[in-house]
Amino acid sequence: MRNRIQVLTVALLATAGVGRSVVEAQTSASAAPASAPAAAPVPRTSWGDPDLQGVWDYRTITPMERRPELADREFYTEGEVAELEGRAARRMDKAPDPNAPSTGLVHADYLTDPGRHVDDAHRTSLIVDPATGRMPALTPEAQQRQDAARAAAAASPAGGRTDSYRDRPLYERCITRGLPSTILPTLYNNNIRIVQSPGYVAIVHEMIHETRVVPLDGAPFTGVRSYLGESRGHWEGDTLVVESHNFNGKAPFRGAGANLKLTERYRRTSVDRIEFRMTFEDATQWVQPWTVAYSIRPADGELYEYACHEGNYGLHNILENARDADRAAAASKH
Amino acid sequence: MRTRYLLLPLGVVAAASAAGHHSFSAEFDASKPVTLHGTILKMEWINPHSWLHIAVKNADGTTSEWMIEAATPNTLFRRGYTRDAVKPGTEITVEGYRAKNGANRANGRDLILPDGSRLFMGSASTGAPGDSAAGGGANEQ
Repeated sequence: MRNRIQVLTVALLATAGVGRSVVEAQTSASAAPASAPAAAPVPRTSWGDPDLQGVWDYRTITPMERRPELADREFYTEGEVAELEGRAARRMDKAPDPNAPSTGLVHADYLTDPGRHVDDAHRTSLIVDPATGRMPALTPEAQQRQDAARAAAAASPAGGRTDSYRDRPLYERCITRGLPSTILPTLYNNNIRIVQSPGYVAIVHEMIHETRVVPLDGAPFTGVRSYLGESRGHWEGDTLVVESHNFNGKAPFRGAGANLKLTERYRRTSVDRIEFRMTFEDATQWVQPWTVAYSIRPADGELYEYACHEGNYGLHNILENARDADRAAAASKH
Repeated sequence: MRTRYLLLPLGVVAAASAAGHHSFSAEFDASKPVTLHGTILKMEWINPHSWLHIAVKNADGTTSEWMIEAATPNTLFRRGYTRDAVKPGTEITVEGYRAKNGANRANGRDLILPDGSRLFMGSASTGAPGDSAAGGGANEQ
């Protein structure tokens, strides 16, 4: 009963995004400012667990997969890091080029926020295993599924099918980005809040307003499938290990969903860094497991509400465009 | 040189799980660029994308209201832009792409103020007209 109250409290505080001061008052520390010395001891909660709490930022310009021209080179040189970061800064700070062709993205670069730094490790990819820095090969059946999906996409109108709202991606519909997508660096709002209580960790994903409440008490998986799957955690030394499966498969990542197993590892290495690793396993999708790793930094500010559905004019506009096109096509036949 | 410059954005997009919240081509038409001169009526600080409403004077003397799709307010707020950064009555030039169905909606690529600066460009508290260091809810308007 006590545990249940604690988890409800954590979930409510985390989900509401209010009561930050209450959370901080209850615990020994939250994310320390970036200016704190890196040599300071790693904070611990009042009950002795490593303290991962705070609002964290997982932006990085390091690509998921190593660019082909880098072949088997695992690390950037210092000069390349400086060049890449300089280029990222210029990209964010420059006015749009009126003569540039449309990039196909909704926003000009300066209206996005993918970050300006290469990951601390200076690796040429977020993928650390396999050593190629690239995703492993698909299984034959996954390759068939991908080929069929690509053929279907090629046969669809530009921008995808629009017969119904059901044709639109779950993210576009403001339902979910799914896991792992919600914890991989993207174009903006790369923030999470971590809240802990004895026996539980809650991970709040800013975009799109989802909270995972992760029991650490060895509770068995129930087998209930959901968009974000089921997560269970435990400590391995000072590393928080979160295993997730039982995904419903409706928000797949690169084709992997219902059979996917994710293992996240969070280790606070200093007051201003969490080392994050995530391993993907799905024997129906990839010929071997694979792992990404990147550092997470204290966010500069709060986790803001991302109430997506109420103001999602874009979905309405997309369907309105499609119905107008239908009417125009019907009229032209008469 | 141009190709080389584009390598990084492509890399970033490859890391991203999705290229923005929704498809550009399902909502807008890249073959319909528009340039609008108008006056700001209001800014809706809403997710997944904020919307700028502007009044545009037509050649026949009438006025039309246009809606311009802009960035997620969470990101704008982090850069220091509050509701005070977008004042009704401000003149603005919008360059973007029109809705596929020809409605008075556009994707805002470039939001240019009378002094030539860009709305939502520059660091926090520098260069943003009416920018205020004071807090304020991004969704309170």
